[in-house]
Amino acid sequence: MKKILFIIMLLNMLIMSNIIIAQDSASSHAKKETVEVIEHEQEEHALPEPIMVLPFVILLMMIATGPIFYHHFWEKNYPKIAVLLGTITVFYYWFVLHDTHSLLHTAAEYFSFIALLASLFFASGGIMIKVDKKATPLLNVAILFFGAVIANLIGTTGASMLLIRPFLKINQDRAKPYLIVFFIFIVSNIGGALTPIGDPPLFLGFLRGVDFFWFISNMWHIWLPTVILILAIFYVVDSRNKSEDPEREYTGKFEFKGGKNLIYLLIILLAVFVDPNVMSWVPNLAPSPIGLREIIQFSVVLLSYKTASREILKYNEFDVEPIREVAFLFVGIFATMIPALQLIAHEANVLGDKLTPGLFFWSTGLLSGVLDNAPTYLNFLSAALGKFGLNINDLGEVKDFQNLHSIYLQSISVAAVFFGAMTYIGNGPNFMVKSIVERAGIRMPSFFTYVVKYSLPILIPVFIIVWLVFYL
Amino acid sequence: MKTLNEVLENGNGGLHYGSRVLLPFAAEILKIVIGHEIITDFSKKQHGASVRIAADYTEIYFCDYKNLEEELASYEVIKVVIVEQGKDIFDFKNHVSLELDPEEKHRLKIAKIGDDLIFFE
Repeated sequence: MKKILFIIMLLNMLIMSNIIIAQDSASSHAKKETVEVIEHEQEEHALPEPIMVLPFVILLMMIATGPIFYHHFWEKNYPKIAVLLGTITVFYYWFVLHDTHSLLHTAAEYFSFIALLASLFFASGGIMIKVDKKATPLLNVAILFFGAVIANLIGTTGASMLLIRPFLKINQDRAKPYLIVFFIFIVSNIGGALTPIGDPPLFLGFLRGVDFFWFISNMWHIWLPTVILILAIFYVVDSRNKSEDPEREYTGKFEFKGGKNLIYLLIILLAVFVDPNVMSWVPNLAPSPIGLREIIQFSVVLLSYKTASREILKYNEFDVEPIREVAFLFVGIFATMIPALQLIAHEANVLGDKLTPGLFFWSTGLLSGVLDNAPTYLNFLSAALGKFGLNINDLGEVKDFQNLHSIYLQSISVAAVFFGAMTYIGNGPNFMVKSIVERAGIRMPSFFTYVVKYSLPILIPVFIIVWLVFYL
Repeated sequence: MKTLNEVLENGNGGLHYGSRVLLPFAAEILKIVIGHEIITDFSKKQHGASVRIAADYTEIYFCDYKNLEEELASYEVIKVVIVEQGKDIFDFKNHVSLELDPEEKHRLKIAKIGDDLIFFE
């Protein structure tokens, strides 16, 4: 039943995109007749009614509260809820605003987003790392730092899936929730701030026109001290953990299986650049919402799953549910987000000078912590562009923004990635790590305990330092 | 009545019907991990799991599941920590971690949790 619903959803997206393509192309023929008509039409559906933000707000609130307060209802019904709320917005844009361009643009963005996440998820799920070594605070620091670095190559999702089991294994005699919380802080979130592959918000920025290498060249000097600071706190905390099993003997053995999936990961990484806007030889398949990049990445999904070893999948307790959840929820998020993005940009343009980089840092950050950080990022990026009268849907204007107002882009990007660690719902991998650890029998802190005991006393002081140094 | 060792050595499985699991030996259940739920409280019959120990088998009912075979993912197993009846429950050496894998035709594969699965008692 779940599989059928999933297939229907994907077919629905494709069919709707094709109908929209047809309508868009037909309407553009008509529009060619007079420039005045185009201008009139654009002006006519320039802004949606504020009430149309409601599906977006409802969806984000349900994503935040569902897994915690009514998780059985949520687990059973989230696909229907996400698709239903998304459909409301799609129909509004299609039949009321007659704005098919925004829908087409959003569909293309969704497929790019899900192709990257799914391919990273499947490719890293087919890799097994076993380490039989005694944990020390220094070894743990090294693993977390390694995770922070590779998160930028295989995404925070991939790095978390790859490293959480070996991290648990070497700490099996001294496993405590704080180890996992710091893992979430560093590997599942803050580590991935250097490339668009690192964290979903940055990939959305990349899709909107931010250069791939802009993030590493403009954020490494914030990333490095932040990672070092949190690792130093971790070292102090971990050094106090004296639990050990004196009878256990360690072989020091290191085992790695699933080497071919490293090739798949490399293909995914290279495919990110297979874009007509980046390489001129790449065929432009527009107005199709799926380009060559997505075709390559979806092929990797199939290949890595079909060729994966059963032994590795069993060891990883591989389950498609997490990525299925992301696929459904983001159909709803991407669709319902369209009016919010347009209205926020408009309001930001009105507010103008009152919006400082520091304000963007805290507002993007705090909302990224309690909502998913990917849509939050786009909303605040839209607001920052709107402040300067620029449009987030225009690649050229996003590039102008990146070059002329980089401090704003930097503060939003840093905040969206860093603050994603504040709660379990801030970023996709957080819940995945929690789930893997609980499947291993370790009880994790509740939503509020995580915030009160770990995020507020550890992350907030670090983020205040970042704000004081870079954005005050 | 079969002992746990006999069950494991002979590869005898248990049974599962809908939300109910039957283990072919009598045992105290200390902890169950199903999905990402960790169950240690067996006193309630509304949520989590309830346990009934008969003379030669043990029944576990999972309150939040209707059909274990359908609802668990392909590579997912139920993990339990048990102590065979008659053995000293306070001696950790008697605590055994098992994986229960619901298979076709109501068969339940029972095996000790090996190195391939990470599990904390």
